[in-house]
Amino acid sequence: MRRDRAAGWLGGVCAGIARRYGIDVALVRLGFVVATAAGGLGIALYALGWLVIPAGETRPRRRLPTGRGAIEVAFGTGLLLMSALLAFRELGIWFSDAVAWPLVLIASGGALIWRGSATASPPPQEALTAPLVRAGGEVRDRTGVRRVSRAARAISRTGVGIALVIAAGFAFLQATGALSAARDVILAVIVVVVVLGVIFAPWIVRLVRSLTEERAQRIRSQERAEVAAHLHDSVLQTLALVQRRSTDPQEVAALARRQERELRSWLAERPAPGEEASLAPALEAAAAEVEDRHGVPVEVVVVGERHLDAHLEALVAAAREAMTNAAKFGTGSPVDVYAESNADVVRVFVRDRGPGFDPAALPPDRHGVRESIVGRMERHGGRARIASDPETGTEVELELPARADR
Amino acid sequence: MRADRPDIPALVAGLALLAFGGVLLLDALDAIDLDFGLFAPVACAVTGAILLANGLSRRE
Repeated sequence: MRRDRAAGWLGGVCAGIARRYGIDVALVRLGFVVATAAGGLGIALYALGWLVIPAGETRPRRRLPTGRGAIEVAFGTGLLLMSALLAFRELGIWFSDAVAWPLVLIASGGALIWRGSATASPPPQEALTAPLVRAGGEVRDRTGVRRVSRAARAISRTGVGIALVIAAGFAFLQATGALSAARDVILAVIVVVVVLGVIFAPWIVRLVRSLTEERAQRIRSQERAEVAAHLHDSVLQTLALVQRRSTDPQEVAALARRQERELRSWLAERPAPGEEASLAPALEAAAAEVEDRHGVPVEVVVVGERHLDAHLEALVAAAREAMTNAAKFGTGSPVDVYAESNADVVRVFVRDRGPGFDPAALPPDRHGVRESIVGRMERHGGRARIASDPETGTEVELELPARADR
Repeated sequence: MRADRPDIPALVAGLALLAFGGVLLLDALDAIDLDFGLFAPVACAVTGAILLANGLSRRE
């Protein structure tokens, strides 16, 4: 186990535990806050965790439970925490009821609100690249999760969280005897909130609907761009090679078979034959494929290693397209690929010594540079820079932030 | 031949109910005085353990 300082608020103890055991980090934080109510035990445990758990990158052990499993885990954890609190209260390791119980309610409500806001935030890139399927009027992604119900669940979760926080405030005021004094003010606030809610409800509902529709459209448009980039890199490239090598039936048949296998794997959403799990082998495999197809030597140097995720797979795909362009238009000059990765960023440079080109003068129907390299990198939170000169050739620089939540 | 894996939720539920039964037995034998202050955390712990084991087993 490692402390995840980048995703954490203080020392990353909660984030590290959550990542290691596949638990929602809000639940782990709630556990520490609730344990703090029991005589400050949470603070002591957190400090101990900070001392004994080293910082670093934890590999996730299990996936988060979903659906009914998530509800059972949440209720189970809550009941166990409640049991610990009641036991500490019975043993006398306890602040006053007026402080501890409102704190528990606030912590629970806060966790629900955070969880709701995280679910309602823009979907991760994996969800953006997942095909949307319309069935029976519902929009689903490839994991089968209903998009609309996910948003509805987030809203209801946030509502329960807000109710818990308000209840905590009332419980605290009641316990300290301040509720009777503040009754008139609270009543006035409630009336104002209800009146404003009734007036602005139609606009709020309309705004939420339009935002949801806009998001769905954006997801569809990104999905179309991903499909277009993939087809360009695979099928269109192979068809161009088939035309060029039409005099060699065996070579044409081999190209068609390879393309068929790749396309079937992509449609079935399983790794293509030979697909690698980390950056260096993936770049080397892409270079070998380009060498094999175009007969141009491609030299690859990789410094630092990184496990492939959806974003790095896109980086490798963009690098493969840059290598293909270098092999096709570099007039047979060797192609150099240099990749480096550190804690913050992954960079790949693809260079050839060909005659160069003007990136701004590319025709609009050429998707290779515009969509498969630049567009693909931007969709995954990175960027591509192209420097081309007739004297020195062309260099494509691809850069991707290392964090998964870029 | 692969050995059958134990049913973790059932195992946790069984152990939790055994512990709960033990507490009730101790109360019946007057070894402990089972009042709400003791009963509530035990009941919460039993239910919570069963729910947690069941929920965690669902994701596999």
